[in-house]
Parts: sequence; structure tokens; C-alpha cells
Amino acid sequence: MRTTSLGILAILLLPLVVGDYWIYQFGLYFLYAAAAVGIGACWGRAGFLPLGQAMFFGIAAYLSGLALIACDGSATALIFLPLAAAASGLLAYLIAALVFRGIGESGAYFSMITLALSLLTFQIANNWSTVTGGFNGLKGIPGLPGIESYTASYYVAAVALILVLGLCGWLYDAPIGILWRALAENERRVALFGFDTNRLKAIAFGVSGLVAGIGGVLYAPQQGLVSPQLTGFILSANLVIWVAVGGRGTLLGPVLGTLIVGALTTQLRDTIPFWEVLMAAFFIFVVLAMPDGLAGAIARAATRLTASSHLARKLMGGGAARPKIMAPARTLEAGGAQLEIRDVSAGIGEVAILDRLSFAIRQSGISCIIGPNGAGKTSTFNLLTGELAARRGQVVLDGVMVSGMAPHRIVRRGVGRKFQIPSVFPDLAIADNLGIALWSGRASWLDLLRPRLRRWTSPMLEELCERYPFLAEADRRAAELSHGERQILELAMALLTEPRVLLLDEPCAGLSPEETQGVIDVIRWAAPRLGSAIVVIEHDMSLVKALAATVYVLHNGTLLAEGSVAEIQADPAVRAVYVGSEK
Amino acid sequence: MTGQRSAPAPAAQDPAPAPGLVFEAVEGGYGSATVVRGLSGMAAPGEVLCVLGRNGVGKSTLMKLLLGYIPCLAGRVLLDGRPLDRLDPPARRRRGITYCPQERPVFDDLSVRDNLTLMRHDRTLAAFAPYFARFPILERRLNQHAGTLSGGEKKILSIVRGLSEEERVVLLDEPSEGVQWENILHMAELIAERKAKGVAFIVVEQNLAFAERIADRYLVMDQGKSVLAGPRAEIGRDAILAHLHV
Amino acid sequence: MSPIFLIQAINVLYGVTTLAVLVLGLAVIFGLLGVLNIAHGEFVMVGAYCAWAVTADGLPFLLAVPLALVVCGLLGLVVERVLIRPLYHRPFDTLVATWGLSLLLRKTAEAIFGLGFRSVRLPLAGTWHFLGVDYPSYRLVLIAVSILVLAALFLWYGSSRTGMRIRAMVGNADLAQAQGIAVKRLAAGTFIAGTILAGLGGVMVAPLVPVQPFMGLDYVLRAFFVLVVGGLGSVLGVLAGAGAIGGLDSVVSALIDGTYGYFTVLVVAILFLWLRPRGIFAHN
Repeated sequence: MRTTSLGILAILLLPLVVGDYWIYQFGLYFLYAAAAVGIGACWGRAGFLPLGQAMFFGIAAYLSGLALIACDGSATALIFLPLAAAASGLLAYLIAALVFRGIGESGAYFSMITLALSLLTFQIANNWSTVTGGFNGLKGIPGLPGIESYTASYYVAAVALILVLGLCGWLYDAPIGILWRALAENERRVALFGFDTNRLKAIAFGVSGLVAGIGGVLYAPQQGLVSPQLTGFILSANLVIWVAVGGRGTLLGPVLGTLIVGALTTQLRDTIPFWEVLMAAFFIFVVLAMPDGLAGAIARAATRLTASSHLARKLMGGGAARPKIMAPARTLEAGGAQLEIRDVSAGIGEVAILDRLSFAIRQSGISCIIGPNGAGKTSTFNLLTGELAARRGQVVLDGVMVSGMAPHRIVRRGVGRKFQIPSVFPDLAIADNLGIALWSGRASWLDLLRPRLRRWTSPMLEELCERYPFLAEADRRAAELSHGERQILELAMALLTEPRVLLLDEPCAGLSPEETQGVIDVIRWAAPRLGSAIVVIEHDMSLVKALAATVYVLHNGTLLAEGSVAEIQADPAVRAVYVGSEK
Repeated sequence: MTGQRSAPAPAAQDPAPAPGLVFEAVEGGYGSATVVRGLSGMAAPGEVLCVLGRNGVGKSTLMKLLLGYIPCLAGRVLLDGRPLDRLDPPARRRRGITYCPQERPVFDDLSVRDNLTLMRHDRTLAAFAPYFARFPILERRLNQHAGTLSGGEKKILSIVRGLSEEERVVLLDEPSEGVQWENILHMAELIAERKAKGVAFIVVEQNLAFAERIADRYLVMDQGKSVLAGPRAEIGRDAILAHLHV
Repeated sequence: MSPIFLIQAINVLYGVTTLAVLVLGLAVIFGLLGVLNIAHGEFVMVGAYCAWAVTADGLPFLLAVPLALVVCGLLGLVVERVLIRPLYHRPFDTLVATWGLSLLLRKTAEAIFGLGFRSVRLPLAGTWHFLGVDYPSYRLVLIAVSILVLAALFLWYGSSRTGMRIRAMVGNADLAQAQGIAVKRLAAGTFIAGTILAGLGGVMVAPLVPVQPFMGLDYVLRAFFVLVVGGLGSVLGVLAGAGAIGGLDSVVSALIDGTYGYFTVLVVAILFLWLRPRGIFAHN
């Protein structure tokens, strides 16, 4: 809090210290910084890189300029300015929603689409002369009513930037900000907690369009001129450099980068030879070696200087609050679900993985799936969570056909999963890892905007914390945990969603005998409490014996046998599969 | 990576280094998980070491340690007495170690013919006649993309490619997976022929019946450690089955 | 056939073949290695500046070929070692790093040569007369060279073992290593081959376009669009993509004007990126 007020104070007092030249520069670069903060949200948080962000800045600037000209500088224009910024945000949201639905992943293709869109916008702005003024731009835009001096204009920009920072800071603190970071680390895992990751990413892009729009809207009256260059490549490229150098993962990093690199460049471009070459080289260096940029470096230095890591945490954006709030119960009805696989065949390419597989999972209690390598055990789980498409047959959950549904929709119907390789979010604190599990199925879209959800707990979590005290070490990063602890953390996360069907893929893989026993105990403790069906893939027959009443044996993608452990062990077909058939 | 060695290094002037592939107290895994813990064993020329154990006990990880895909956190790997520590997989291949992996055993995008001749200097199939005699299916599919083969056919292609390299040490990871019994027997005979010429084998297997046909020694693993090791003659099927928990 | 139509047809052929050659470098690097080299266009620019440097000194144009080969090859070597090798299998970081590289090369060119246009004198002036039309000789040579390069690459890639080993390495790096393929060296060689191809493309087009620091941006986008439309991994895909993008550009430009050609290309590319990111030939 102290650093925030200090920063605001510094911004407010700056005009008393420096002259008009710098006031003008800072006023302009505050607006660019607003757009940079939006790139930080996408790239540093949600993990995808927009390469054409200038288009949203530029579109809002054109809209704002047109409105101001149409109203001839009267106060009526003030109604249209927020709408112009909102239009940029909405456009960004719609683009991302459509594109992510089309291509899913958030890698190079999305980035290239944004770059191409920005070039397209430039072409339109450049050629649609009747509206945009063409190559020479929109000239003679009146200033905002009552804002005449550089200083006044500076304060307008400062307030806008503080607003943008307030908005993004709040989002970073809220569950949605945590989910952005989580999906940047492991998007599939977030989807398997029941969140629509494409929508989450679209929201991030929408926010980035909105804040770029806020900058653009104020650019028009501040500069009095909007030219096509504002929508195009150079500003887009510069914004990305500023964000990278300042520090993409932090709230203030992009601002820092914009003010230092951007404002300095206008000053130093002519005095220091090769200044821009140096900046580009530094950008590469940052990408390779310093992913958290200047802000990250400052934060680390500050941590080293002051024993308390308060400032560091402020800059790095972390830290959960103390008092806990009981999460509401899940909206699903409690108890086990009826899950049935009916005659399913599935494969990837020409390789058949499941071959007319049929079985029904017991409605409650623990069952195990065993089978040799390549029998289709994990693929069966992938089928159940909607990640492997069935070529024939159906998966039916409580009478509803779920095959063909998106994974997050199936999960929301009460299917939980734990992966064989512990899939927690290493860069997130333990508390936030657990939080994601608690929000799953309990939080609405609106709830995800409320930072207080990060203090949620549940009776099950409290009991798990008693069994495993490390789960209560809220601020520790999951990356610092041992392999065994990560297995436990992910198991806890899977349990906290209180699913009606819980799929556990080799929960004891890589654990010591003591840790294995602990996991077995937790599963047996949780089964009656959840009342749900728990299905475990396991190889070790001694563990299978300890866990399950029913065992399903898979072989070559189909069900070979089903029964109690004793029945399975006596089955000659099963023995043949394991020992090796001689026929 | 080789800083901490748990086993004391043998004296430099060791008169006769053990021939074949030897691993001493190797340890390693992925990220935070140590999968193989202090495992030792060897395959002498003309000998087959069969590594057995349930899924997920670290058999494939052992292979990757021996081949240099992942670094040994402790222990070392020697070929004819010379340590391989710093060599990457291609360099180990050039020292004479052939490897047929368990997963993705062939180049799916290449034809069967190209899979076989990719690294052969003569670029012909002349050397493959004896293999085609045993596995005529391969010859029929020469022009097909290897990706269109069944799992078992891929394994056959893989082992034929591996044995045709005619190297001194051969590492096979689950060669019989998905292969029908008749062809498993052909594999066993091919291995026996190469063995008679002094080739050392390390074979990871799940199929006990196949292992019994080819093994000279067993190494049974559980949770990354050796739980049973010795010559085949001294270890009975029941003792092994007890560790496979079936 | 009317002469105007014939000239337009040659124009389209010229547009398509030169575009295809300019794409090849990116096709090798992106299609084979899976590395999206955003600085591809800057390698084209470097090649073009090589042509300018040679002719500005009064040396024969053809000397630009070995010069571009050396300059782009060395650049590619350093870039692969420093920037690309640590980032294989991290396509997103590669994107950002090569984006930085493109800025670095552009700014460096700007610092050395300034922002202004340079023009390279045509090494082969005049026109050739055939089938009743006159067509600029250099363009005709360019078409022929482009077709030769494409054919050579097509034959080499289909039959040589290096091409096969690259395919093996990309498809299954672990198995390639097990069979003794030094994947690091092969990947580096592939990358350098790509940058050299880009540089040679730059030399070829240099006499026909204004040479300036920003010229690369347009090429990388077009090249990327071609690959997106044509699909990755084959010379035929490159040709199909170049045919679609270059043909569309030429035809629309001829019918309306150049701006609309570019405009149409952008729109088509965005639609492909969004709806059919694996190209025309992708089945599912």
C-alpha cells in the first residue's frame, strides 16, 4: 500500500519538478503505458503474445478523434469517449473469442493473426480517406473541454494510467488473475478443473484491448492528430519491447519499460549512436535471460536489501490474505454418478487405442483399472474427460451423453481427475493451487472477479491440512515441493473439487512406501466422505488389493475381465496377458 | 552432472576391465523424481541380461540412463571398461551401442524401406534377406509409411533395424510388446544367433515367457531398485512372479 | 492469345515463382524445424543489402551471391547457437526471440544504411521479345532461376538422405539420436540453409524493389501466409501457397490496384490462420 501511495504522489508532484518538455513526454508515454499494461496482462499473465496491440490503441484514437470533431470540442464528446474505449475492448474480446475457438492453442498463430490484423487496420486507416483522413491522418482534433495546458493534459493521462493500473491490479489479485497465470503454465489442467480456458484468454485479450483503448481515446485530444501509423506495426513492436524490458509478469513492469525505454529513446536516439540497436539487443537478452525484466530485477534487489519482501511481493504480485472464508457447497448433487462407456472405439491417426470398450463404473466406492502397457488405461480416462474423441459408441454420465462435449463441460458435470505426472501449477503458491480446485464448480464468472475468493477454504481442505501440514504453507510456491508432496497436492486438488466421479491415474507413481501408504489412506478416507465413484489406475496388485472391491482389466483397448481381486488373479486369460501367452 | 559418485572409482590400472556394458550404482530420473536408485548390473559379450518389473518401476529410465538421454546423478556406465559419462546418445551409438526404444520405435513419416536404410552406407536392402525370410511381412510393406504399421509390426521393424546394425551391444526395450507369439519366437532365435557371435544384450521385458527363452541373467526391479538379480538358472519363475505381483 | 493477357499471365507467374523462392527459407526453418523465424524477412533484407553493397562498389552483380551466402550463413550460425538452440521445443519463446532479432537486424541496418531507399541497378537491362510481347529480361531470368531452385529443392528433399534424416529428426528426435544422427548439428545446418536461402532470395529481388531496412516485414508476413495456406512440410505446399497468395495478389492488383491486392492477401491469410491453420490440403 505504501509503495502505491508513494508512486501516486510522485506522479502528482512531477509537474512541480520538471519542465513542460518532460511533462508533455510523460503525458504521452503514460497513454502508451496503459496499452503496455494490457500486453503485460496477456503475455505476462495469460501466456499469449499479442503482436498487433497498436490496432486497439489506434482504433480508439480514431473513434475518439471523430467524436471530438463531430461534437466540435463540446462536453457532449465526453459521453462518446468511454464508449470508444469500450468498443476497442469489445472488439478485442470478440476477435480472441473467435480465434481461440478456432485454433485453441495460444502459440504463434494467435500472435501472427494479431500482427496481420494490425497491418490490415493500418491499410484501412491509410486508404479510407473519407473517414480517417488517409495517409495524413485525422487533423485538427479539438482538445478535451477545459484541458488546455500541458500540465492539465498530463494529469488526465496520469489519472487514466492510475485507473488502468487499478483495474489490472484488481484483476491480478482476483481469482481470474490466478487462473490466467495457471493457464499460461498448463492450460489443459485448467480446463480439467472445469474452466473455459478459451473464454478466460478472450477476457484477458478484451481487457488488453480496453486499456489500450483508454490510452488511445485520450491520445486523440492530447495530440490533436491521429495518423494510420498509430494502428500499425512500429507502435505494436515498440509496445512489446517496452513490456519485455520493463517486465511482463508484473503490474508495474510495462509502465517502467514504457517510461524508461520509450521516453528515453526520444531523448537518446540522437545523442547515443546505435541507441535503438542497443535496445533491440537488450530486448533479446531480456527474452533469453531475464524473463521478468527490469521490474523483476528491481524486486529481487529490493528483497536482498530489505529483509521483508513486502516490496518484492508488491512488484511480483503475490501474497494471500489471512482470515479464511468457508466456500459454499458445490452446486452438484452429492454422491456418485452413473458413468458408462458403451461400445467405444477411439484412436489417434491410424492407431486404434480403444476397441469397442464397454463397461459401467460402480456408482460409489473405489474400483481399479489394471492392464499391461498400451492397454488403453490412460486413454480411457482421456475418453471420460472428453480429451479423446470416440469414433463409435458413447460415454454416458447420469443418463446424458457426454462424448463430444468439451472437457471443461464434462468436468463441470462432476468428473475430477488426477494425472500420473503430478500436474500442479509450479509457479503458483500452494494456496492458489488449492484455490483453483475450490473455485472449480463453485465460483461463477462474476465470482472470479472477487479477490476474497482467494481466502476460501472447505471442511475437506481443513482436514487435509491436518493430515499434510505443508498444504497450509499458503505462500510457498508449488515448484519448491518434492515430487511426493506434489503428488499429494494434486490429489488434494482433485478431492477438493468434490467430484462425483474421481479418476486417479497412478496416484502412487514415484512415491516411497511410506508416502504410498499415506496416499492409500487418503483415498480410503475420502471415498465414503465424497460418496463418489473413485477409479484408480494402478499396477501394484498389493495396492489394488488394499483399495478396490472391483477391478477392471484392460487389454488391447478392450475389457478383458472384471471382478474382485481374487477372481481376477484366478482368471487364466488375465494371467496369460501378464505372463505372456504361448499361443 | 557426474560430481557425486556413490561408488568408489576402481583403480586406474585395473588389469582387465570387464568387457561388455557395465553399469555401477546408477541413479537418475526426471525433474524432481528420482526413478532409478543405485542400480548395478552388466551384460557381458554373448550374454543377455533381462530386466524385469512392473510398469513404472524405472526400467525404461534405466535404458535412458545407459544411453545418455538423461544424466546419471550418481554411478557410472562403462563400455569395455571405458566410462561413457559425457557422451550423448549419438556418440554412444558410434561407440557401438544399438538401441530399440519401447515407445515410438520407428520413424512414422518414413517408409519401411527408408527406416531400414536411413543410416546404411550402401543404401540397399541386400543385408536384410535373412530378416525378410523370418518376417516376410516387412518385405511386403517396404513402400508403406511405417506409421501405418501395427504396434507389433513396428516392433519387428525396429528390432530388425537394430540387429542389422551388427553392433557389439544391443539394448531392447520391450521388443515383444504387441508382437504375436510366432514372431516373438523368431525374435528369440535372432537374438540367440547374435549372442553366439559375442553380442551383449540388455532386454527390458514384461513377457516372462519370452524372457525365459532368451535370458542368461535376470535383474528384477521394483521402485527403482534391484530386488532380485542373478543367473537364470538360479532364479525360478515363482520368485520373479512374486515381484511382479500378479 | 492477346498480348496483354499474356503479359498478365507472365506477371502472375513471376509473382508466384519469386514469392515461392522467398518463402523457401522460412519453409525450411518453420516447416522442417518447427521454428517460426520472424526474422526471416530481415535475412531477405540482408541479402538485398549485399546486392546493393556489391553493385554500389561497381562490382558485378553475381558477386552478391557468394557474399550473401557467407553473410547470411554466418549470421544464421550465430543466431542458431545463441538464440534458437536454447529454445527448441519452446515455439513461443522462439517467436519472441526472433521477433527481437528482427528488430535488432532492422535497427542495425537503419543505423548503418539509414532509413532511405536504396536501389540496385538491374544487372540485365532491356526486354526480350517473344510470342509477340516484350518482357523485361531480368524478370524472365528470375522466373527461370526460381523454377530451377524450386525443382532442385524438390528433387533434393525427396531423394537425398539429408532430407530424409531431417524428416527423421523432426519426427522422432530420440530415435534419430539412437541411430547416430547428431541432431544438434543437423538442426543447425538446416537453420543455416534456411537463412542462406532467405539471403539469396533477397539478392534476387534486390534489383526490382526498393532496398530499405523495413522491407523484411512484408516478406516474412507473406512467407508465413504462404506456408499457412499451403501447409507445412513439402515443396508442393509452398508452391500451392505461393500460387494462392501470389496469384491472388497479382490478380487483384491487376484488376483493381496494388493496395487492394495486399488487402485481399491479409484477409485471406487471417481467415486461413483462423479456420484452416494447417493449410489447403489438411483433411481434419
